[in-house]
Amino acid sequence: MVNTEQQRQILNEVVGINKGPRALMVYMDICARCGTCAKVCHVAQVNPDRHTNPAVRADHLRALYKRYGTLSGRLLGTLVGADNHRLVDDILDQWARDFYECSGCRRCAQFCPMGIDNSIITRKGRAIVHKLGKTPKYIVKTQEISNQTGNDEGQSFAAFMEAVRFLQEEMKEETGQDIKIPVDKKGADILFVPASADLISFPDTQIGSSMFFHVAGLNWTMSSEAFDGANFGLFSGDDAHMKQKHKLIHDAMAKLGCKTLVIGECGHAYRIAKRMAPGFWGKLPYQVTNILELAAEFVRTGKVRLDPAKNPMRVTYHDPCNMSRSLGIVEEPREVLRACVQDFREMTPRGAENWCCGGGGGLAVMDGQEGVALLDGTFLDYRMKVGGEMKWQQIGATGARYVAAPCSNCKRQLSQLMQYHKSDIEIGGVMDLFAKALVW
Amino acid sequence: MSVLQFLVGVLLPPVTVAVLLLGLAIRVRTWYRAPIGKITLYPAAKNSSQLWAGVTQELFLFRSLWAGDSTLWAGAWIFHVSLALIFVGHLRVVTDFPRLWAAMGMGAEGVNAMSAWVGGAVGVVILGMGLFLLGRRFTSPAARDASKVEDYVTLLLLLGVIVTGDALRFLSHFDLEQTRTYFRGLLTLNLQSMPESPLFWLHFLLGQVLIMYIPAGKLLHLPGVFFTHPLLRWE
Repeated sequence: MVNTEQQRQILNEVVGINKGPRALMVYMDICARCGTCAKVCHVAQVNPDRHTNPAVRADHLRALYKRYGTLSGRLLGTLVGADNHRLVDDILDQWARDFYECSGCRRCAQFCPMGIDNSIITRKGRAIVHKLGKTPKYIVKTQEISNQTGNDEGQSFAAFMEAVRFLQEEMKEETGQDIKIPVDKKGADILFVPASADLISFPDTQIGSSMFFHVAGLNWTMSSEAFDGANFGLFSGDDAHMKQKHKLIHDAMAKLGCKTLVIGECGHAYRIAKRMAPGFWGKLPYQVTNILELAAEFVRTGKVRLDPAKNPMRVTYHDPCNMSRSLGIVEEPREVLRACVQDFREMTPRGAENWCCGGGGGLAVMDGQEGVALLDGTFLDYRMKVGGEMKWQQIGATGARYVAAPCSNCKRQLSQLMQYHKSDIEIGGVMDLFAKALVW
Repeated sequence: MSVLQFLVGVLLPPVTVAVLLLGLAIRVRTWYRAPIGKITLYPAAKNSSQLWAGVTQELFLFRSLWAGDSTLWAGAWIFHVSLALIFVGHLRVVTDFPRLWAAMGMGAEGVNAMSAWVGGAVGVVILGMGLFLLGRRFTSPAARDASKVEDYVTLLLLLGVIVTGDALRFLSHFDLEQTRTYFRGLLTLNLQSMPESPLFWLHFLLGQVLIMYIPAGKLLHLPGVFFTHPLLRWE
């Protein structure tokens, strides 16, 4: 139930849109509600319900903004799309469900004739939900753990060092080579920051990246204080958290004196490092790049021996939304894959028009029902039955045995999706296959 | 001059113009002054000429819509092109372009015949497209779910203007010379003749309501798309 004070806060936030940012403000004014967004949305396509229609979801904010934030809305009301019909008792539950059913993948923005990017509206909606303390538990918990330990997995310094030792031993066993994962090495050229999930849940990706740095002969290090690029502030709409979390990396760059920040297989971390960080601290005194761009560059030189026959299974590539649509990384991972696997098969559609896996925008960590009261079943059910359905069909059509998805959110979602469908299709990263294809 | 003629033909027009210009100016100024964040959506333009080439394709060809929903694209694109042609055609009720006609080697009769044929055809086409856009709000689930009162009002208003306009052309005798004299008088604040046709006054009234509606509701997409598409595609 929402009380008067909460109502006042909601309206304050919504009316506050008239101070910008520009995109959001224009989006409030110009939607023609033509429905094209619903036709290209992975959620609305599988579950074509009124509340999953992106234009209807956006109307949570738009109708109130028009009603209380514009002169025409105050004067003409419903004639110009302004109303407070949905300022109901369970408004916050509705918002929490609707703004978290949207993964903010930006696919609709590719097709909207008005140039509206619904992910901006979703993030604003989530920000309001967050200010009113209604953010789903899993997201809140992840942020809390991160605040306490500096990483979303809650690893201590000792656990991190243990993981590093373990991975070094693994690499030694596999290749017979002494491949180090340098930690806190002052004066290294490169600081490498993956998503911390790579160290525990997807160690093969971390191994692949480490081997890459080794064979490329790069002077790199990881930081024991900033080994997690994942940042749920982008998902919850909590700008303060986003900045605070990313500051760990920014500070580590200064402390270790590195010249280049290389983000691992984590699209949203790269997006924050590249797009948001200059907004926090102005022009950055270091370069920002990504392991996939770096690896592609290196593969192009032909300096490393890769044997595609070592990866004989059919492989397809899933474009994580942040990588493809928000950062334009489409061809680089494919270049790496083509050099590392024998049978590469594209999904349809591919690149910037690829479907979301259904776990984007932080959804991949949400399993139960808490915080999403109006959902039928658990959030995991939703992700498997609705959010991931388009992807499941798309993967099936390729006949692939391995899906490369360079994003921890996608990896978790897709792994669960394969489990849900009792499929033995393997889910992993791009660098995992690079490691396997290396000829020593 | 009847009261109605006075209200719609003398009093309302300056109000219409003021509402349109002030409304648009205020709205666009608010947008323009708002801070911008970087929200690049790829594939993005690498330089400003690429950016404007892409934006031009969006504005004139509705490129994104073509990729997203080609049926709607056809209806919407033809609808908007017809609107643009009709806008140009309506310039003739205020002024004429004798030099242009001379350059094209057309006499008065030729011009009137072209106006009748092209204008008539476009008037029919836009009526069809308007009905299509209204119809899909009932038949397409995605559009039906999204539709609100505003969407129906906007379309009905447009259709009202279209139907009365078509009726003026096809069902009544339309005196262009007299209408032109009236509009010129209105513009120069020296009112001469007033058209008598009630159909004309209905068309003119609805047209003015539509114009005043532009800065109030979703028709703001007219200036809005000049802001949104560049914001998305700028690297």
